[in-house]
Amino acid sequence: MNSPDNNRTEQMEIDASAKWPVLFIFAHALAWLIVGGALELAAAIQLHTPTFLATCEWFTHGRLAPAASNALVYGWGFNAAFAFGLWLMARLSATTLRHGGWLFVAAKFWNVGVFLGVAGILAGYSTSFELLEMPRFVTFLLLAAYALIGVWGVTTFSIRNTENVFASQWYLFGAAFWFPWLYAIAQIMLFRAPVRGVMQPVVNAWYVHGLYGLWFVPVALAAAYYLLPKILGKPISNYYLAPLAFWWLAITTAFAGGSRLIGAPVPVWIPTLGTVANFMLVVPVVLIGLNLFGTLAGRYASLKGSVSLRFVFISLLAFVLASALNFAFSLRDVAEVVQFTLLSSLRDWLIFYACFSTAMFGAAYFMLPRLTGLEWRSPALVKIHLGATVLGTGLLTLGLAWGGWTQGHLLADPAVGFTDLSKAMTFWFTVRTGGLALLLLGHVAFLVNFIWIAWPFDSRHTAPAQINPPPALEVLKA
Amino acid sequence: MKNGLALFLGVFAALALSWAGLLLTAQRQFGSLGQFKDPADDMLYPQPMSGLANQGRLVYQDLGCVSCHTQQVRREGFGTDLARKWGARGGYARDYIRDQTVLIGASRLGPDLRNAGNTELHPYADADYFYSLLYAPASGAPGSMMPAHAFLFDIHPVAGRQPSEHALKLSSKFAPGPGLEVVPTARAQALVAYLMSLKDTYDYPIERTRNAAAAEEKHGEKPKEGGK
Repeated sequence: MNSPDNNRTEQMEIDASAKWPVLFIFAHALAWLIVGGALELAAAIQLHTPTFLATCEWFTHGRLAPAASNALVYGWGFNAAFAFGLWLMARLSATTLRHGGWLFVAAKFWNVGVFLGVAGILAGYSTSFELLEMPRFVTFLLLAAYALIGVWGVTTFSIRNTENVFASQWYLFGAAFWFPWLYAIAQIMLFRAPVRGVMQPVVNAWYVHGLYGLWFVPVALAAAYYLLPKILGKPISNYYLAPLAFWWLAITTAFAGGSRLIGAPVPVWIPTLGTVANFMLVVPVVLIGLNLFGTLAGRYASLKGSVSLRFVFISLLAFVLASALNFAFSLRDVAEVVQFTLLSSLRDWLIFYACFSTAMFGAAYFMLPRLTGLEWRSPALVKIHLGATVLGTGLLTLGLAWGGWTQGHLLADPAVGFTDLSKAMTFWFTVRTGGLALLLLGHVAFLVNFIWIAWPFDSRHTAPAQINPPPALEVLKA
Repeated sequence: MKNGLALFLGVFAALALSWAGLLLTAQRQFGSLGQFKDPADDMLYPQPMSGLANQGRLVYQDLGCVSCHTQQVRREGFGTDLARKWGARGGYARDYIRDQTVLIGASRLGPDLRNAGNTELHPYADADYFYSLLYAPASGAPGSMMPAHAFLFDIHPVAGRQPSEHALKLSSKFAPGPGLEVVPTARAQALVAYLMSLKDTYDYPIERTRNAAAAEEKHGEKPKEGGK
């Protein structure tokens, strides 16, 4: 519809309109990534060194662990998704982000809500429902702030200047609606008008699975669908399959939550329905794989030339692995051994960190230089971030899988007492701590680079660092 | 897909379908499950929780015990929960209607607690045992990796006062020192009352026949698949 020249000026206008809201929200996201990562690391240390921070009630493991996961999910995850989602929605809808001032207000409210929520958990107001631990009084704050941000995304979409609606937009649009519904329904059914008995775990499982599958996965996929063709300069392969994959993924994921309740004291149709849904999810995962890996096919050499692409590639691998785990955990014989172990936590970690968070890193490495018009200051820090992510993700994936498998088999043997079990697991808990520490190191490197690009003080020394200058690329070009 | 309205309706339907199909259907089926009146003794089961235990449930929630402890006993043939003496039978949905908040948990870094107060299964687990576990886990279970919850206890000098009848009987290794006693706070007392109240001892005839019949049938035909 637009000539390439128009496109260019248009993109610059859009980026200019999105710059400050996105930087503001992303700065909050990064702050939470560090805080949440530190809390998570402390909670991980407690598993092999139980005396660590044990005397302080605020930091007892039962409070520290949910505080960490809430800080990461609602602090880092949501802010990053807001920043990236708003920018991408504006770009793909070919319209500027209007009245961005309101976004500052909304983002501030959201972050105050998350802060009160995390502090509330540490202070002893936790509800103890997974990912809904934040005390009830922040619910309204979060929903109101979310409404404002979500409305911005949807409004930007509805005033789009484009004929076609791209796959990334479906995923962002879907996620923008699914989260508030999931959250509001879970809040009502668990706290406002609580359901009784084992209905509560059913609602909780439905929410948790929905949050991962209908909020974090769609945002990660939106990033992959956008960044791959953009950086590689070619269209998505087999794009005609994308709508089918989208609808199939949405409908089946929404039903898959029951698979978390295999063996739980609920009517057996609930986990069975989840199992069926997880089996059906194979189809959209294959279709999405055809789309995204198909686009990458034959161009794997480009991975060397782009940090964004490498992060997105990790994210894609994690998406496939997490889907495979979801499938495997639906099999009763597997669930019997691995449920309640580190391995079952690996599935959620893969989706949230290895799939979603790395996609956001990839998106940030693409988006922030365009928003600020600056290059990343320190290529070394970029390398540290990427290296720490690759190593940490690999270490945690292997460690949690192997450790969880061991844990499951020890749990299954009634002759092994809990003392021996804990002793045998100490090694794996230590591996986990190591992996998390590595990731945290990468995050700090990323934060420093972000501060440099967002507030370029002392700009005399701003050497135009290339996003990625590996010598191998020059060789390739030659 | 170009039509925004169609996209919206589809997105709405995707979630509405699962809400109605999963949550509302489940709610209709067992959302209003009631107590069972045993004709033999005219008593209602599960029996309601005592007020103190209910306060303890709040402490259990606020300390996040659910991070490491499940409260669900998997049935015979699926896992070894019964062999670990975590319950005398698999859990039923009806067991949970006494709990205002149902925290079945998702992680077994520590043992299952659904029958923590069932002294038939583990006779040693009296209130003193739980106090010692909370104050200094190694004093109750040597080698335990559970974090201590010493902040749930007060440490008093005994001098010039009558010793508290609730004071913990600790071995010298864990005792705070001569002339001092360790007394559980009200929160610790509530928490232990809650833990002691956790026991699914009553076996409901309806659930028992339903579960047992299915198991027997399968046992007869193909024993390896029993209970799956």
